[in-house]
Amino acid sequence: MKDPYEILGVARTAAPEDIRKAYRRLAKKLHPDLNPGDKESEERFKEVAGAYDLLSDQDKRQRFDSGELDASGAERPRERFYRDFAGEAPAGHPYENHSGFADFAEADDILAELFRRRAQEARRAPGPDLHYRLSIDFLDAVNGATKRLTLPNGGSLDVTIPTGIQEGQTLRLRGKGARSVGEGEAGDALVEISINPHRFFTRQGDDIHVDLPITLAEAVLGARVRVPTPTGPVMLTVPKGSNTGAVLRLKGKGVPRRGGHGDELVGLKVMLPPEPNPELEAFLSSWAPGSSYDPRRDMEP
Amino acid sequence: MIISKQEFLDRTQLDRETLEVWIEEEWLVPSGTAPEVAFSEADVARAALIRDLMQDLGVNDEGVGVILNLLDQMHGLRRVLAGTLQSVRQQSAPPNTES
Repeated sequence: MKDPYEILGVARTAAPEDIRKAYRRLAKKLHPDLNPGDKESEERFKEVAGAYDLLSDQDKRQRFDSGELDASGAERPRERFYRDFAGEAPAGHPYENHSGFADFAEADDILAELFRRRAQEARRAPGPDLHYRLSIDFLDAVNGATKRLTLPNGGSLDVTIPTGIQEGQTLRLRGKGARSVGEGEAGDALVEISINPHRFFTRQGDDIHVDLPITLAEAVLGARVRVPTPTGPVMLTVPKGSNTGAVLRLKGKGVPRRGGHGDELVGLKVMLPPEPNPELEAFLSSWAPGSSYDPRRDMEP
Repeated sequence: MIISKQEFLDRTQLDRETLEVWIEEEWLVPSGTAPEVAFSEADVARAALIRDLMQDLGVNDEGVGVILNLLDQMHGLRRVLAGTLQSVRQQSAPPNTES
């Protein structure tokens, strides 16, 4: 319970006349019947009225000041306020007075016109957009494609995938959304694209990465090998003495982009024969590569 | 609920003479015909408001009539506005769309 002096905003030494003035000032602002639309005013008014009830009575005030009376003991019970009745009956209250808008006779026409326009706007409003998800293959994302999306209602939608589309990109198909409830245009279909990963291609921006396994002989002697690209295999020259980790660049074999293509980056990976090979073992046992061949030289402390 | 004159006087702690004046001033308009007048809960609350205005807020007799008249107009306006807003809401609520 708050201090009644604080609620009324008066000093503890305030004269009864000052307390009455403070109460009137607050009550004029807060009386619920003078603020029919303000639900909060009722609580505050009760607080103020309770404080005034306590402090306006000299006897109660003295007992409160001496600590004999608790501030909450002075709260005054209040029945319902008049405003609670005024808005209640559907037919209005007998006291209710309609002269406040008797000069609005033509308001009915204005409202009718307003409603007519709103209804018209609602008829012309476009239908809502519909959202779909479509997952496509990696190569379709790179090269572009046309996909048929089967809709939940049994219909279908042909979606043209532009070349080089990115994961999470959304395609807007104008007029393929829900129909307008009135005469407006249909909404749009929004198709969010997700791209399935590829078996050996990965994509970084506009470049395609692929790991290409090569034989020991191709690595040592050099060779021309077939390399897959998104647009079909091409021949690639592996230079003599290529090592695991070397990256060769195929210009223009990456993802199409504005004004050209990205590149395909081919990472070489030297593979030994899967089975032990006695001839290779015999050769390597007799082979002396020399002291300069120490691949772990850089790791020495 | 109908409240008899005696019960009304008890609940509002008014004396008979004051009530007669208030009815004469048309601050209170009980239903029924004299001498068998009947009051409602709204009349009890309205009497409490009049007492608040006169005793606590220091409004004089003439002022009470003015305030009550304006309040009654305000409640009339509030009702019409509430009805209007209700119609607008119904008009502008999006119709159920088939998906």
